[in-house]
Amino acid sequence: MAADGTLAIGRPAPDDVRKRRTRSATETVVYGFLFFAFAEVAIHLLTLAAGHQSAVTLAVSEPVATSFSRPDIVDRNGRLLATDLEAPSIYADPGVVLDRDELVEKLATVLPDIDQKELLRALSDRTRRFVWVRRGVSPKIAQRVHDLGLPGLSFRYELKRAYPAGLLAGHVLGTVNVDNRGLTGIEKYIDESIGTDPVHAASLSTRMPVRLSLDIGVQHALEDELDDAEQKYRAAGSAGIVLNVKTGEVLASASTPRINPAWPSQAHDDKYLDKMTAGTYELGSVFKTLTIAMALDEGLAKPDTVIDVRKPLEVGRFTVTDFHPANRPLSVTEIFTHSSNIGAGMLALQAGPDKFEAFLRKFGMLSPLKTEEGPVAAPQLPPKWGKASTITISYGHGLAVAPLQFAAATASVLNDGKPVHPTFLKRYGGDQAAEKSLVTRTTSRDMARLMRLNVTAPDGTGKEADVPGYRVGGKTGTADMPGRGGYSSKSVISSFLGAFPMDDPQYVTFVILFDPKGTAETKGQHTAGYTAAPVTGRLISRIAGQLGVAPTDVAASQ
Amino acid sequence: MRLLNIAAFFFAITSALLLYGLNYDTRRLEAEVQSKERAAERARDDIAVLKAERGTLARPDRIDGLARQIGLAPPRVDQFANGREVSDLGDQDRRNGR
Repeated sequence: MAADGTLAIGRPAPDDVRKRRTRSATETVVYGFLFFAFAEVAIHLLTLAAGHQSAVTLAVSEPVATSFSRPDIVDRNGRLLATDLEAPSIYADPGVVLDRDELVEKLATVLPDIDQKELLRALSDRTRRFVWVRRGVSPKIAQRVHDLGLPGLSFRYELKRAYPAGLLAGHVLGTVNVDNRGLTGIEKYIDESIGTDPVHAASLSTRMPVRLSLDIGVQHALEDELDDAEQKYRAAGSAGIVLNVKTGEVLASASTPRINPAWPSQAHDDKYLDKMTAGTYELGSVFKTLTIAMALDEGLAKPDTVIDVRKPLEVGRFTVTDFHPANRPLSVTEIFTHSSNIGAGMLALQAGPDKFEAFLRKFGMLSPLKTEEGPVAAPQLPPKWGKASTITISYGHGLAVAPLQFAAATASVLNDGKPVHPTFLKRYGGDQAAEKSLVTRTTSRDMARLMRLNVTAPDGTGKEADVPGYRVGGKTGTADMPGRGGYSSKSVISSFLGAFPMDDPQYVTFVILFDPKGTAETKGQHTAGYTAAPVTGRLISRIAGQLGVAPTDVAASQ
Repeated sequence: MRLLNIAAFFFAITSALLLYGLNYDTRRLEAEVQSKERAAERARDDIAVLKAERGTLARPDRIDGLARQIGLAPPRVDQFANGREVSDLGDQDRRNGR
């Protein structure tokens, strides 16, 4: 160091220079390290991004079977009608299968209905890695297939629709396909209006159950009575419905032969057609309920108005007669209870074709109807609505409608004229939107009284439907079945439109028997008064209590 | 300054150990959650099967057959009474010391 210190100021000491160099080297190393660290992170990120992309491509190229989870279906009281369960499905990997012929032969011992040719063809394609063998088998079958020890066969769990109540309400519930998608009935409605969730594994739905208007107790009683009736009267088929007059809720709806919702193939067989909604029929004299209601509502007649029905009605080449000719003038009440075709025809003629058509149109009898179960078969109208059509339709011929549509129309008559819209879903509280009444309250009450009289009067056609205590009313209908070369009186559609309790109608029932045969008990008769009416009586005696309708004595004492 | 560096070094080491511990705990908890979710899924499946079995056992045609076997039948009209009558009968029984 210089003595005057000048040097010390102008030139740095060698120690300082060394220190500065060392610091500079350290900084270079640190920055270099940081640079390489960041570079490594960047490279790693790029690698990950590239790797991630390839993983996605691989996932998409894998065979993925999509299924759908569906909400449960329950009846109005929460009792289970349909649910999803886990079920094993069997698939094969053709690339791993050692001996195709052996695999197919051995599989056929456990699954005898398997399409062996198709499976062999699918397994021949070694480029495929996934071939369904059978989906939704029972755990027992899966175990037996597993025990065969065949290489190349594997299992995966999928959702399968189960119907714990068996055939009960099969037509209403509908069916699903192998992917658990709704094909018909309420199952289809769920797909269209409520929603299902696509799943790749057996994940149960978290959606709220779909609550139907059906009551499984009432549904069982209806199906049981129809089964008995079909056997007893050797009928070719039958159908029935129980409808809440106030809300339009369908409490029960059945058609025989009954359909198994677990077998979707049955839905395509005409034999299993839902006669209540998917078939249209000329229903016969039950139609007089609407004809007489029109006459009363239009002021054309009163219940005690007397009409001369002794002469047959001549319409072109047709002659309309009565099944039980009274040979005396009849009041409108008697026309209903005697089921006079001539009387109904004369009342319809008095109104005229236009007014009669307008009345039926007002009740929705001439336009298509849709419910949650699906579209109801469209009515078959006469090609020309003239005098002849007016007369024949007045007693239920010449216009074919679905029984559900007819039951809803008559329920509207009994509901003080307020329109009844049939539904298969439970309605929760609250008044329905106010709609214009289709007939007056007086007409509605008069019709309820006429229907009750038809069951209580000694000469009423519906005597056999009476159930002491439940104030049953109704109307019989026996329509000749159309066949080759015209109508045959040997084969009839026998029906009974019932309602109870008639002091304030709450429920409408409609029972139809197709081609019933007379028995010793019915003295060989196959008309509705001897067949469909007693079935309705037995049905009401079983369901009235379940539906909370109090017998007369109890109701009067309350 | 040196003291600060040493403190920072120990702080970094402690943080690394802490992070390692947290990471380990997170993985363990994740595994636990997955196992609970699997158990819940299994329970849901079991509930679905049990509900379906209950539905099958309680189906009306089965109950109907069983009820008729033990002599039961749908209720008759004369078997209904209103609440007041039932209550009156109860009062009568109590008065008679039954």
